[in-house]
Amino acid sequence: MGQKVELACIIDDDKIYVNLVKKIIEIKKLSENLLIYKNGKEALDYFKDIMENVTDEDKLPDIIFLDLNMPVMDGWEFLNEFIKIKNSLNKKITLYVVSSSIDPRDLERAKSFNLVTDYLIKPIELKKFEKIFEKTAA
Amino acid sequence: MLNDLQLNSILEDFDIAYWKINLFSKDIVWSNHFNILVGQPEIEEDRFEFFINHILHPDYRYDFRIHFEKLIKENEPFSFEIKLKLENGKYRWFECKNQKTRDTEFRETAVLLFVNIHQTKRDQYTIEENFFYYRETAEMTSTGGWYVDTVNKNIYWDDVSLKIVECPRDFQPAYKDRMKFYAKEHHNRMRNAFDKCENFGIPFKLELKMVSFQHREFWVRLTGKPVYNDEQEVVGIRGVLQNIDENKNNELNLQNSLDIIATQNSRLFNFAHIVSHHLRSHSSNLSLIVELLRESKTDRDKLDLLANVEDVSDNLDSAISRLNDIVSIQTSLKKEPVTIKFETALEVVLASISSLINRENAKIVAEFQDLKEIRYIPEYLESILLNLITNAIRYKQPGRKPVIFIQTYVENDKEYLEVSDNGMGIDLDEYGEKMFGMYKTFHPSNPEAKGIGLFITKNQVEALGGTISVSSTLNIGTTFKIKF
Repeated sequence: MGQKVELACIIDDDKIYVNLVKKIIEIKKLSENLLIYKNGKEALDYFKDIMENVTDEDKLPDIIFLDLNMPVMDGWEFLNEFIKIKNSLNKKITLYVVSSSIDPRDLERAKSFNLVTDYLIKPIELKKFEKIFEKTAA
Repeated sequence: MLNDLQLNSILEDFDIAYWKINLFSKDIVWSNHFNILVGQPEIEEDRFEFFINHILHPDYRYDFRIHFEKLIKENEPFSFEIKLKLENGKYRWFECKNQKTRDTEFRETAVLLFVNIHQTKRDQYTIEENFFYYRETAEMTSTGGWYVDTVNKNIYWDDVSLKIVECPRDFQPAYKDRMKFYAKEHHNRMRNAFDKCENFGIPFKLELKMVSFQHREFWVRLTGKPVYNDEQEVVGIRGVLQNIDENKNNELNLQNSLDIIATQNSRLFNFAHIVSHHLRSHSSNLSLIVELLRESKTDRDKLDLLANVEDVSDNLDSAISRLNDIVSIQTSLKKEPVTIKFETALEVVLASISSLINRENAKIVAEFQDLKEIRYIPEYLESILLNLITNAIRYKQPGRKPVIFIQTYVENDKEYLEVSDNGMGIDLDEYGEKMFGMYKTFHPSNPEAKGIGLFITKNQVEALGGTISVSSTLNIGTTFKIKF
């Protein structure tokens, strides 16, 4: 594998899932570093923090995996808030919505956001993970 | 004076034919016009018999013969409506009558006139027929006619209208009382429609509730159109009034059923979605583990992953039991509600959570004087109380002894239950909309929060036709109010 993703971010409240993804990333060496937030609000707070300190560009992830169903602030609310600040973040960020929901309404709604690259249905196969990381790193 | 020729020509112009009958010889002479009307037949037999057998409609043969006899013998006046077969083979209506003779002493001839009344007769039939259809339609569809004279301020209702409004047949509605026949909530609509029609000639078609003479409310469809005088001023409004009570009630019932079905359907849909989502999230974790197991090389890695399998299994188990809680809302709906005392239901609940109450040193005050009991499904009432009380204790203000105040009362004939606490409160601006949603937790710091209690409570309350609302102030407390 050539290039590697510097920083990936997972926003998901399912601890087991997060642990497993963490393992995949470690085993396959997909990303140097990993940010983990258990709901949209925690992630958003982090991004807002960075906005105020422009020098911390390295701390912005290259790729975000966003869950939909989460307590406190769910994926939809996060998307609505993230749109507002995305342009002031000086970095290209690829965002994937990752959910176990197979409801077509969720899929359509997610695709209506321009900043959503794709809607991935859990479980994601290892190969798919590798492909996504390769594409983002290239 | 006119001579015979002139007279004949006038009679022909008026389409009047005649017979001249010699009373002694019984000879009958047909006028030229009569002869032409019946197609100038060649007659070998007796003229009268020919007429009876070939021209007169069979229905009138007997009567005609009798009357004719009487005319000839006793000079009795003759007036009779008959049907004659004309040269084209079709029957036409004629009025047949004798010419009155002034001289009663001496008679030599009698004159029988045949006046064509076919058109009149037909019009009369059409009118009778139309009137019949109109009556039948009005009766069958329960549609009455009405007229309001806006100049002289008078109201006219026809028989059917009076019947619809359950008024006596001779009832005359007074103009000033006209509004009392409409349900109060529709007075404005009615006035607006009438004013617009009276002032601007705009017709109307309304569905509204009327109040009958017997003070019974019922639905009608009411149409009104302006009536103009020669100066093109509106002088009245007329229209029809249709009793649609049965239809309207059916419609309302249908709408009601439809609403219930739609809610149930969307609840089912959501439920199916929730089930699929929550079971899928575990199954997808399982399949991820399996994939990783295949990839992992050391035994240590494998053992780590097996620990995860245990976690998934636990989560799956609790997810299924929570889903089961929701399913049981629907199934216990089949149970019959019974009269239960709030006191009893509360005792059951408090007994089941006594250790939690003791641990948190919670104080529970209940006031059921105003409403002691209710017809409800006991399991629901207990579940509602349990959820609201444990919620209140779980979200107590740290450092403050939890106090929960439970109260029942009646307001405007509706039964209420209120559960208030002195807990940490909820930011309703932020969480208000999602508060009763599934798997929403508001206090991320609280590990016990599963976010399903309020969802179940709301479902239980609504399943029995009630509503639940919440008011809250941060750091002061929360009140849940249930309208049964």
